Amino acid sequence: MNLDRLMQIDRRIIYLFVAAGTILPIIFLLGLPVSTTPPVRMAFERIENQLEKGDVVLVSFDYGPSSAPENDPMADAILRHCFAKGIKVVVIALYPLGGLSEAIEELNKVAAEFPELEYGVDYVNLGYKDGAQAAMRKMNESFKEVFPLDVNGTPFDEIPMMRDIENYGDVKLVATLATGIIGEWWANLVNAQFGLPVIVGPTAVSAPKYYAYLEARQMVGLLGGLKGASEYERLVMDKYPRLAELYATPGLYTATKGMDVQSIVHLIMIAFILFGNLVYFTQKRKPRAAK
Amino acid sequence: MRKQIPLLLTFLAGTIPIFAFFVPERHVGLVSTGLDSWLIIVYGFALLLGVVNVVQMNTNKIKRRASGWPYSIVLLAGLVIMGSFGLLGSFDVFGGIATRPDGSSTPFNWLYTNAFLPLQGTMFALLAFFMASASYRAFRARNVEATILLIAALIVMFGRIPFGEMVSKWFPIVTEWIMGKPNMAAQRGIMIGAALGAASMALRVILGIERSYLGIGKGE
Repeated sequence: MNLDRLMQIDRRIIYLFVAAGTILPIIFLLGLPVSTTPPVRMAFERIENQLEKGDVVLVSFDYGPSSAPENDPMADAILRHCFAKGIKVVVIALYPLGGLSEAIEELNKVAAEFPELEYGVDYVNLGYKDGAQAAMRKMNESFKEVFPLDVNGTPFDEIPMMRDIENYGDVKLVATLATGIIGEWWANLVNAQFGLPVIVGPTAVSAPKYYAYLEARQMVGLLGGLKGASEYERLVMDKYPRLAELYATPGLYTATKGMDVQSIVHLIMIAFILFGNLVYFTQKRKPRAAK
Repeated sequence: MRKQIPLLLTFLAGTIPIFAFFVPERHVGLVSTGLDSWLIIVYGFALLLGVVNVVQMNTNKIKRRASGWPYSIVLLAGLVIMGSFGLLGSFDVFGGIATRPDGSSTPFNWLYTNAFLPLQGTMFALLAFFMASASYRAFRARNVEATILLIAALIVMFGRIPFGEMVSKWFPIVTEWIMGKPNMAAQRGIMIGAALGAASMALRVILGIERSYLGIGKGE
């Protein structure tokens, strides 16, 4: 066997395997089971057990289209959970590259699933504001000064639910779906300085650094990547049968379906890593055996 | 005065929020929150500056026919088209920037959903292919540290998927332990180091020692 050729295998063969591993589970759904982990359960239980109907949660869309496949299911699951429990939601966006569009699309999509809820009374979209850290600090003083209008151009004072919401003191929790550093700012600025509980839903590549904040109790929950989103969907489906029916809708993109793809691709990568090391060690031993 | 005024502004902008954090006096707090409002406005202009910079750089590239100049045309075309529809949409022309009440897409929303979103998703998705190829070629147990890293990576990758738990209930448990203990410790060390570095740099900027942001060097 030519080990040198195996060590320099054409990368297109690897790409082909990854492509097959990505496409086939989308076509032939595996329906793999999802188990939950403590960081996600902490987030779920915070909203489920410590918030009451009528409490206010701030949901911040701090991601753009590049991480939408990971962050959209998190946003949808948290919004559905809040709406199912009767929690009021204030949506904002602090990410310049598409945060506002993501907020509009996801909120409109999920709100349409709850026709009994009314915009301005049960939920509101205050839109995008630049200067993330400055906006975060300013919201502790006044939401109105940061977001004088909502995304539809309605003045702050004319939005019924915002008459009782002045600043962070009137909000029970912030859930940020984040890419990059914005999620860290919620934990190390807003929670550290103003004491507002924070749940962060970062991308999988950013998730490892948030464990430090979770351990330090600067966060009350963590939804890491697509896995975290699928776990939250599982918890929400187990608790709310209505949402379980919704998640079973054919053609609806969910993190649980996405995990089928991620599982297969992970296996392919593990196989290639093990194979690569096997070839490497075999090649290392061969000259010694020849001697 | 060209140097002194910016240095003075930097000093005040840096020290007032610090002072306000430690001194719970109403008037100091008011000045600090006022600065926050100004910062939001300045950020907005920084975005505008970014757009101007991109236009300038790519226009020069096209003029000079530098390597890759056709892509600059594509970039500027995208900027103008998306920017125009976004700007017009903000004045409610074409029905805004989201979907219209009847469910139809505005031009900006159509471009966002059918062009920007798939393209951005594709860029990110390409990483999976590059990672697979790079893992095969570079992820070798060449020494003790690399072997530990390799074993930890394999356990985490396997533990984060349902197959891991199907093989053994210990995979997800060990995965969470790796993420919550050694990974957390390492991340904490990195973050503390980075924060100390950032604090040191901030102090240098506030005190006027670091002046590169003014376009002049130290000691000038």
